Amino acid sequence: MGLLQGASELFPVSSLGHAVLVPSLLHWSFKQSDPSFVPFLVLLHIGTATALLVLYRDEWVQIVRGFFAAAFRGSMESDSERLAMLLLVGVIPAAVLGVFFENRIKALFASPYEAAAFLIVNGVLMLGFELFRRRAERGKTRQEQEERFASAERISFRAAAIVGACQALAFIPGISRSGVTIGGGLIAGLRHEEAARFSFLLATPTILGAGLVEVPELFKGGVPVLEYVAAAILAGLAAYASARFLLRYFRSGRLDPYGWYCIAAGLISLALLRFGA
Amino acid sequence: MKSNTFAVVLGLLGIVFIVAAILYLVGGILPTFTSSGSAGPHAKHAILCAVLAVASFVAANFARVRTV
Repeated sequence: MGLLQGASELFPVSSLGHAVLVPSLLHWSFKQSDPSFVPFLVLLHIGTATALLVLYRDEWVQIVRGFFAAAFRGSMESDSERLAMLLLVGVIPAAVLGVFFENRIKALFASPYEAAAFLIVNGVLMLGFELFRRRAERGKTRQEQEERFASAERISFRAAAIVGACQALAFIPGISRSGVTIGGGLIAGLRHEEAARFSFLLATPTILGAGLVEVPELFKGGVPVLEYVAAAILAGLAAYASARFLLRYFRSGRLDPYGWYCIAAGLISLALLRFGA
Repeated sequence: MKSNTFAVVLGLLGIVFIVAAILYLVGGILPTFTSSGSAGPHAKHAILCAVLAVASFVAANFARVRTV
């Protein structure tokens, strides 16, 4: 589960969807209703967020410094200051929607059937984002077009808020956080690699914040902390490798393969769930 | 958008969020829209209000008209 969550959290294929589907298909004993399930997910998320912090450690130092400098000055003078403010604007919609609606949304769509169905929806969304981008690129080579699109620091604050709000869709099991934020970034006019970078930077405080708030759950009785920590380390390692791979992949790659994967995985899962694995 | 009135409104909003954060922390108000609606401290809501307070004060500082 640690490896699965760490890898699928950053790939645009929905970690939550896989966390609901895979145990159900493989008849693992994980149950979302189990009191130890939430602390387990919390630690896995902290592992993933730590991997992202390590990956972007230099950038986060600049972003934190930039945030305080710009906040006290009341103006932005460097790219890192602008990026810090864009991330703040991007985090707020997901935080507000997450705090008020996450549990309700998850409770509504927690069954494996719904996760499989929304995995198909996620795939269609990925293909739709790429179709939208291809229209903007029409008539020129990929290389020429990519040069026209912006880096993360140059998008508008409204675009950052929209990309941030897209994160809230990921509360639905089957819809990928990184998928919808990378797709939102593409629509906002970012290059693929920059859309992935902005998505990962945006995910770090969101995942870490959501994880840290639940830490007290770990100290409740009956939680096998050592086993959970081992799973979190595996999740972190998988997330680090995934992020490195994806950043290299998106230099020339697109979302389409993940879109087709989600559609295929969703259809196969529905069939297996319906007719028995 | 630069305006001292707008900056003051944002500053007041920040104060409201701080008060809400404290009330959530001590269990003075119940969270809305949640399935539990139980009494007691609500860390998630308190942290969210604190983040919104910081964002409001930063936005107020950006909106302030500078005389120099």
